[in-house]
Amino acid sequence: MTQDTVTSETQTEQPDMPTAVPTPDGAALDGAAGSSPARPPRLSDPLPDTGNAVTLQGVGVSFGDHQVVRDVSFNLARNRVTALVGPSGCGKTTLLRAINRLHDDAGGTVSGSIRIGDLDVYAKDTQPELVRSRVGMVFQRPNPFPNMSIFENVVSGLRFNGVRSKTILREAAESALHHAALWELVKDRLHSPAGVLSGGQQQRLCIARALAVEPEVLLMDEPCSALDPIATAKIEELIARLAADVTVCLVTHNMFQARRVSHYTAVFLLGDDRRTGQLIEYGQTDHVFEVPMDLRTKAYVTGQMG
Amino acid sequence: MTTLRTTDTGDVVVEELLPAEVLPEHLASGAAARRAAIRQAAGRTLGRRRTATRASHVLCALSVGICLVPLVALLAYTTARGIHAINLGFFVHDPTPPGIPGGGIRNAIAGSVLIVGLGALMAIPIGIVAALFLLERRGRVATIVRFGADVLTGVPSIAMGIFAYALLVEPLGHFSALAGCFALAVLMLPIVIRASESAMASVPVDLREAALALGARRSRVARSVVLRGAMAGLVTGSLLAIARAVGETAPLLFTTSSDLFNLSPLQPTGSLPLTIYANGTQAFPEAQQIAWGTAFTLLVLVLLLSIAARIVAGRLARGSRWDNSRSKR
Amino acid sequence: MKVFDQGGEAVAAPALLEEVPPEHRVPVAGVREAIARHRARRGGGTYTALRWLGASVFVAVLLALVVTLVSGSSEAFRHSGLSFLWSGTWDDNRKVYGAGIFVVGTLVTTFVALLLAVPIGVGSAAYLSEMAPCRLAQPLSVLIDLIAAVPSIVVGLWGLLVLVPLFEHHVEPWLSRLPLLGHLVFAGAPLGSSLLLASVVLAVMILPTVVALSRTALSGVPVADREAARALGATRWQVTSRAVVPSARSGIEAAVTLAMGRALGETIAVAMVVGNRVAMPHGLSTTLLAPGATLGSAIITTFGEATPGLQRSAVIAVVVYLLAISVAVNAAGQILLRRRQRQRSARVAA
Repeated sequence: MTQDTVTSETQTEQPDMPTAVPTPDGAALDGAAGSSPARPPRLSDPLPDTGNAVTLQGVGVSFGDHQVVRDVSFNLARNRVTALVGPSGCGKTTLLRAINRLHDDAGGTVSGSIRIGDLDVYAKDTQPELVRSRVGMVFQRPNPFPNMSIFENVVSGLRFNGVRSKTILREAAESALHHAALWELVKDRLHSPAGVLSGGQQQRLCIARALAVEPEVLLMDEPCSALDPIATAKIEELIARLAADVTVCLVTHNMFQARRVSHYTAVFLLGDDRRTGQLIEYGQTDHVFEVPMDLRTKAYVTGQMG
Repeated sequence: MTTLRTTDTGDVVVEELLPAEVLPEHLASGAAARRAAIRQAAGRTLGRRRTATRASHVLCALSVGICLVPLVALLAYTTARGIHAINLGFFVHDPTPPGIPGGGIRNAIAGSVLIVGLGALMAIPIGIVAALFLLERRGRVATIVRFGADVLTGVPSIAMGIFAYALLVEPLGHFSALAGCFALAVLMLPIVIRASESAMASVPVDLREAALALGARRSRVARSVVLRGAMAGLVTGSLLAIARAVGETAPLLFTTSSDLFNLSPLQPTGSLPLTIYANGTQAFPEAQQIAWGTAFTLLVLVLLLSIAARIVAGRLARGSRWDNSRSKR
Repeated sequence: MKVFDQGGEAVAAPALLEEVPPEHRVPVAGVREAIARHRARRGGGTYTALRWLGASVFVAVLLALVVTLVSGSSEAFRHSGLSFLWSGTWDDNRKVYGAGIFVVGTLVTTFVALLLAVPIGVGSAAYLSEMAPCRLAQPLSVLIDLIAAVPSIVVGLWGLLVLVPLFEHHVEPWLSRLPLLGHLVFAGAPLGSSLLLASVVLAVMILPTVVALSRTALSGVPVADREAARALGATRWQVTSRAVVPSARSGIEAAVTLAMGRALGETIAVAMVVGNRVAMPHGLSTTLLAPGATLGSAIITTFGEATPGLQRSAVIAVVVYLLAISVAVNAAGQILLRRRQRQRSARVAA
């Protein structure tokens, strides 16, 4: 079957037009699958308030003497996609990793407060492993475990967390692969090694792996930067669909991607000392890009800076 | 997002990029229960999993401790018992007949210097030249040389001793320092070749090619660019080969052995390792004392050579001018 | 003088060329000849000859080694046939030669040495690579490598004069009192010099190899795998055991194989502590406390007194036997190592 694919024009290049990204409307919030594409939010419609899945208050991260990011306060609204944008080196990834306590191993110090619902992530008696089972992460380069089959990869998180029941493993794997739009592709070869998949498919496998543990929040660190444009488009569509089930926080250096995919945007820039990153502005994506409140945001989104 | 696809019949079809995956009913309805079960399992097993982490830390740290025990014991015993045996006379006297005190290892020291020195003189130039050969050529002979060097490093040193015996002791009819040198040279050769080859390979190809492009002869390039650039690595490799050869006993067992002080290559000479072996296996306490003293001397010698090799290697790393060494092999 | 453009068509010489002094103009057709003349005149011949000499000498030495040993052993192989490789009798008086005892001794000591060294070595490597604080890992690594720098004769001396009495009076009596193993594996009178002690000494000597190569294999696992496991909620031990070690498995296999090769090549230290019993006991006793002999120790103890002729040829045959086995094992180890390196670079490129 010949496949001459011509991607439709409404995709990439036009930042000033709302793009045709299917976003879940209010009715799909209770977790029904297969949400139908709704019209994109316009400036005149404030987003319905869904409460906050994660709140950050005065968060800073430093490594030894070097303060990477300082005084960050914003929220991750439940079942919405929040994008963290800004030029490289502003601490977006560092901040993202603070949310699931990945800096514990690397010797970073986190100040301020991060709460997931009622849970204080950095409280003395909070176990980091439990935090990480509620907050999933997808990395920049696809990193499926090389010695495991597709199925093993997807259920690896469940195994780490002590789940043994074969029924739960199977059902969770199937559900996660459905959510990652991989089930039809791999259902007949669940036990082939993960390496047979292409780059974009491997990244979706990593998304499925993160989703299998049924996290409340999904952190994504520039998940498309290592992928080709078609794979990128697929993942962007996937992110939009995923918001119905998890809260997504997406770090991206691509402004256009943020506009296409996110409901809320947080803009990061280097502070005046040129060494520490700071949160400049946070709000609904359309507002941030069209009527930013901070001059520096305006300079960034119009491409004058960064 | 959509794409256009042409089917077999020539129609153009508008398709979703991602298939619409509809979650089967039983999976969707069981989601909440699944989530609860996962949270419960995670919380319940965490204690056990963290204990496993702590236990494994302790066990693995213990393993490291177990590794260090023989090292410490070895060094401690050798030093403690060896130092007793050492006085000035130890180094200036030759061995005395068994049971008679006052013996020393002068002949063994001289013998070792002679044997290892001559062996190094044989092995190092040939090794460096063979490494230069490997640098420039890629054919079947080069593969044989490289493979041979790899294989030879794994050959038990006794084989080299027996080889030297068949080649040099049988025809001459008696032991000789030369036979010992030869055996040690065969031992050192592959070490020198491999170390030299890797040192030369780390000199960037670009420098060699630049010199060639300027019209220099290959020999000039080798002298000025390759050897000079790889000098630290060559010295390190040679020092390590010498450190290895100084401590080898098996190649010397059947090639050279003597209690007399002797500097002529055609006669047998003593050596430090053989002195240890001959004295250590005797029942006399005095002999064993001499064995400990010699062992301590040998240990210090090998340690000094290894430290020297490390210092030179350190200077190689520090003073390296090849910041972007992109040497391709 | 002709000047040609890229299509091969002759074109008029540009004016610039007229400024080149006549003596510096080289005709295109003559450039190749000029270079050849240049090369011939300067003669890089000596350098090339020297390099070929070096390579030839090395290859000659290799060939001579093989030829000498094989021809020296041929008499014994002709006399005993292939049964030399496993027959258990080594009797001078009856002129029956078989390396069976030595092979058994080699297998037993190598196996037990690996049994001791691999768990401890891989565990230490895991500690150094994954668990130790940064500042501690490097010095500890250097210390463990120091064992490899100690000459085997010194280890042998320590084994002979310190460990033999220790084993004879303390370790082996204790072992033979163990409930089950005492009867099975540690039976018999404690003599000190035994297969057990030889195994322990070998284990000490191959530890640095296992630790260093395993550590390289473990450290070489990409950070991405560890992060992925960590982000899913794995504890540090789970990261090590489920994400790192499986990836490093091929490297660890190479490490174990090369350590085995190293153990096979150790002759002098083993000869000093193994007890050197050159006769197969009546009935196959399975105790490790018995003295025995390995291929290497047999060579050392029998070559000196071997009469020229069949007896000496038999000992050289043992040398050839040992050579063949250790070369095969080392080659296998190198192949495993190279295959792992190729796997790693293929993964990086993907």
